[in-house]
Amino acid sequence: MSVGEAGAPPSSERSHGHRTLTLWCPDWPVVAWRRLDPPARDAVPVVIVERADRGLVVRCASAEARAEGVRPGHRRREAEARCPGLVVVESDPAGEAVAFEAVARAVEALTPRFELRRPGLLAFPTHGPSRYFGGDHPLARAVLGAVAAVGVPTARVGVADCGFASWLAARSAGPGDARVIEPADTPGFVAPWPVAALGDPELSRLLARLGLRTLGAFAELSDGAVLARLGPDGVRALRRARGFDDSAPVLTVPPPELAETHEFDPPADRIDVAAFAAKAMADRLLDALADRGLACTRVVIEAETEHGERLARCWRHEGALTPLALATRVHWQLEGWLTASPAVLHTDEWVTGGLTRLRLVPDEVTPATGRQLGFWGGDAAAGERAARTLVRVQAMLGPDAVVRTVVGGGRTPDERVRWVPWGERDVADEDPAPWPGRVPGPAPARVHVPPHPAELLDLDGRAITVSGRGVASDRPASLRSAAATGPVTAYAGPWPHDLRWWDQRSRRRRALWHVVVDDDHRGVVACLVSVEGDAARLDAVYD
Amino acid sequence: MTVTDLPRLRRDLLPRPLPRRDQAARARLAEAGARVRPSVLADERLLAVAGALGGVLPGGGIVRGSVVGLTGGTGVTSTGLALAAAATAAGEWVVAVDDDTFGGLAVLEAGIAPDRFALVRRVPPARWATVVAALLDGVGCVLAAPPRALRHGDARRLVARARERDAVLIALGSWPVEAALRLTVEATEWSGPDADGNGWLDGPVRTVRVDGRAAHGTTVRIAG
Repeated sequence: MSVGEAGAPPSSERSHGHRTLTLWCPDWPVVAWRRLDPPARDAVPVVIVERADRGLVVRCASAEARAEGVRPGHRRREAEARCPGLVVVESDPAGEAVAFEAVARAVEALTPRFELRRPGLLAFPTHGPSRYFGGDHPLARAVLGAVAAVGVPTARVGVADCGFASWLAARSAGPGDARVIEPADTPGFVAPWPVAALGDPELSRLLARLGLRTLGAFAELSDGAVLARLGPDGVRALRRARGFDDSAPVLTVPPPELAETHEFDPPADRIDVAAFAAKAMADRLLDALADRGLACTRVVIEAETEHGERLARCWRHEGALTPLALATRVHWQLEGWLTASPAVLHTDEWVTGGLTRLRLVPDEVTPATGRQLGFWGGDAAAGERAARTLVRVQAMLGPDAVVRTVVGGGRTPDERVRWVPWGERDVADEDPAPWPGRVPGPAPARVHVPPHPAELLDLDGRAITVSGRGVASDRPASLRSAAATGPVTAYAGPWPHDLRWWDQRSRRRRALWHVVVDDDHRGVVACLVSVEGDAARLDAVYD
Repeated sequence: MTVTDLPRLRRDLLPRPLPRRDQAARARLAEAGARVRPSVLADERLLAVAGALGGVLPGGGIVRGSVVGLTGGTGVTSTGLALAAAATAAGEWVVAVDDDTFGGLAVLEAGIAPDRFALVRRVPPARWATVVAALLDGVGCVLAAPPRALRHGDARRLVARARERDAVLIALGSWPVEAALRLTVEATEWSGPDADGNGWLDGPVRTVRVDGRAAHGTTVRIAG
């Protein structure tokens, strides 16, 4: 089994992607469960459930259950309510991998190089096999025949110019059928699919909000705009929507010294021993790649027993592999090989002996994009989450209800700060230059707009007035208002303001005071009081 | 192989018939306790509060996922803003749920980063709990003035939601159910103006009492 090709293919083929065949066995968890006990379990409505934070959630439903209205994502009780005779089975990923190993071996007879995505989905480039079989259609029929021979008649095959398009083609084919997209037709085939086909719910929600509902509409955007708005992940999705492979051309084959090898001495005869070692190897491998700024999307896992039997499988992962995902795939592969009985694998003998050697080879690497941090530190993800929450609250209460602060110039606290509705972008803070006549002191925490009526009285109970020259009639002795009532213990002012003196109609003259009041209930309260004519008003409270 | 063959046998660690009560035993117990204390990464679980107030808070800050109740006659909003400033200093977002009288300039002077702050105003009291719950989902710190008619069930659900999301809820006003920390502004002193009305108000000095699991009735005078 060849592991990698010496030398990279020509660059023109790289930029448009390899012509790929994708084999998809729909509802593979159900098929794998049925293969364990063929006659009794056929045609029984069954759901495979897995544990999620909401309880047991349906992961996969058989065709009979789907006909009754059960869908993936339903809770177990809801599924049982919709379909009375339902059989509920706990999910068993290792068993699915074991069962899929038989299909993998059937395909291996036709082509040496193929990559497994997950149990139920595999793909391989059609460059060589297509020439051998005399075309894409004969190749697809050969694959379907081989897979049907191991007992999976409902598999589907799609052939197209890149991996994503061939996966869509497989989805659009009928059961036991193949769909071949001609070389130049791939972008036209991909265009009418909805954006949810990209497999990224966040991205598809965002694109739907922007009014782009099909992949064709998304593909028409410019690269620069998508990179600026959505980042490198968005560019990958854009390439897929256009019908190309989603990675930029890989510049070099990864150097061979990056491969991690582990020898088991004594040979490991239990899967968990090997999986434990695989986790450590995966950590080391991905760290070494990260040091070079690379992330691994495809890895070849080679296993060898003490009697020389070897199994090598190529696994692909959406996005970059994490150590846990890599260790899980090692577990699947070894389960499928070491513990499965010959009948399941359609071979002649058991695998004898324990595992002596495990090797992880990175087959395809892409530049690692890392996490996008905010400009001044902090996480952009937190900012996006907060922005989404605020938009939600705005939808609940109205656009004016959620506001942010914009500071400008002015004399009094209410003039200096404006509340701008959330989402309005082109309002910026003004330059905080000194402003003549600005009220000194700290900023009050409660600003009453419009100001509350109040009474600022002197010792004899008369209202304080301020003359045109800014001279107060008397010292303030008591304040009566809704926020604070009581004797004045300290005061500062008056500070006269002459507003809009150039306009006769809107000219106003007022005087501002800082007043510290001893209230019975609230204690010592400091307020900003303005006197205009003979009326006093409470502008702000230094809460 | 007998017991005496073991190298460097620690005879003082062998079990003894009765517990010892001398100083050596107590010291060893204290050392063992220090070793097994659960190590919580302080900067991940706490929002460190600067200044004298942080000095009296247990751990030096507010634990994420807790509710802080702030009451008092006056000075409640400023103290709440100081706590919220601790949240933005840690990079979190702060959203205030209040009415129109919230002072925007005080927000900036308290040290809250303006690009990580928003105010939600004009919330009908019947929907207050829903709005605060929605905000706790996405934002690290929520500053809210609970309405008078807040139901206990709603308040408890908000406490649970804050704990689940590791968000801090600072309640400006009386919080009817349990709160991890309760701060009461007891007294305020203002200085600045002299007897003739010259000068202007200088920063207040507030006396704040802290009540929580680790601090009972500790008072501190904080400026500003």
